Amino acid sequence: MQTMDGLESLIVKHPFLSGLDPHFYHFFNECALLRRYELSQEIFHEHGNAEHFYLIQSGKVALETFVPGRGMVTIQALGPGEALGWSWLFPPHQWHFSSSATEPTELIQFDGAHLREKAEENRDFGNELISRVARILLARLQGTREQLIDQCRAVKKVRDEMGLT
Amino acid sequence: MNELYETIAEHAFFSGMTPEHLAVLSACAREAEFKAGDVLIREGEPANRFYLMQSGKIALEAHELADGTVPIQTLCPGEVVGWSWLFPPFVWHLQALALEPTVVVILDGAHLLNAAEWDHDFGYELMKRVAQVVIHRLQATRKQLLRQEIESIMEG
Repeated sequence: MQTMDGLESLIVKHPFLSGLDPHFYHFFNECALLRRYELSQEIFHEHGNAEHFYLIQSGKVALETFVPGRGMVTIQALGPGEALGWSWLFPPHQWHFSSSATEPTELIQFDGAHLREKAEENRDFGNELISRVARILLARLQGTREQLIDQCRAVKKVRDEMGLT
Repeated sequence: MNELYETIAEHAFFSGMTPEHLAVLSACAREAEFKAGDVLIREGEPANRFYLMQSGKIALEAHELADGTVPIQTLCPGEVVGWSWLFPPFVWHLQALALEPTVVVILDGAHLLNAAEWDHDFGYELMKRVAQVVIHRLQATRKQLLRQEIESIMEG
């Protein structure tokens, strides 16, 4: 019997892939690398080529964007068990935001082109992968909208108190 | 063939779908018209419909009993409305309101989920389109949030 190497056992245990059909693990294993990042080290950069998908193993990363006059601003903080980076999925395959480690961090890095190619070839795998992605994206969209709603309420409250409306 | 087959085939969201998959979509489709002010989707109610916009304008908003509504997004012809039928708990998160006379094609969410479960090729094509639109909305919403944060800091 083949024994599982260290990286494969991390992949099997990652929540993003929880409950995955065992036949699909090899699509991830065959294009994976464990990457270590130091504090403040950049993972990817806005407008750069989006070639990888990441699962966070340990540490903490920030999704960021550059705002003139303010520098890099954090959009979202992500931790162990979460997934990072979607821009490799669709053309133009360019990062929309930047990301860097805000703690010493370990990421499992997958080759995006490989996952895309296998998803097109094997629709059972493709459906499984893209459904997991869509589910997380929707949860993040709903979370971001809730932040927007909270902010609107806070602004409205301040304006009401100041008698501006 | 369902009379809405062509309408669905021409909708930007389903561009590139095969005739077989378009037949699956049109099998659960109906057209509906709304007047300005009509509510299409009510926050908290069971979510089982996917809307393809044909004409008109729809506002997505968070409904607040005490302080009115918070606008989230305005949607135009060629766009789609409603994702909550895709994943549990299958409950609408927001309210959708017609701002103008609006025509939509409504697809049955449960039918789409069954078809996706049964035919993974169809599921892949459907979810790929969902993911692509949701990524754009997520990116746009994050930028909107950021702009709003910066504005409120400047004001404060």
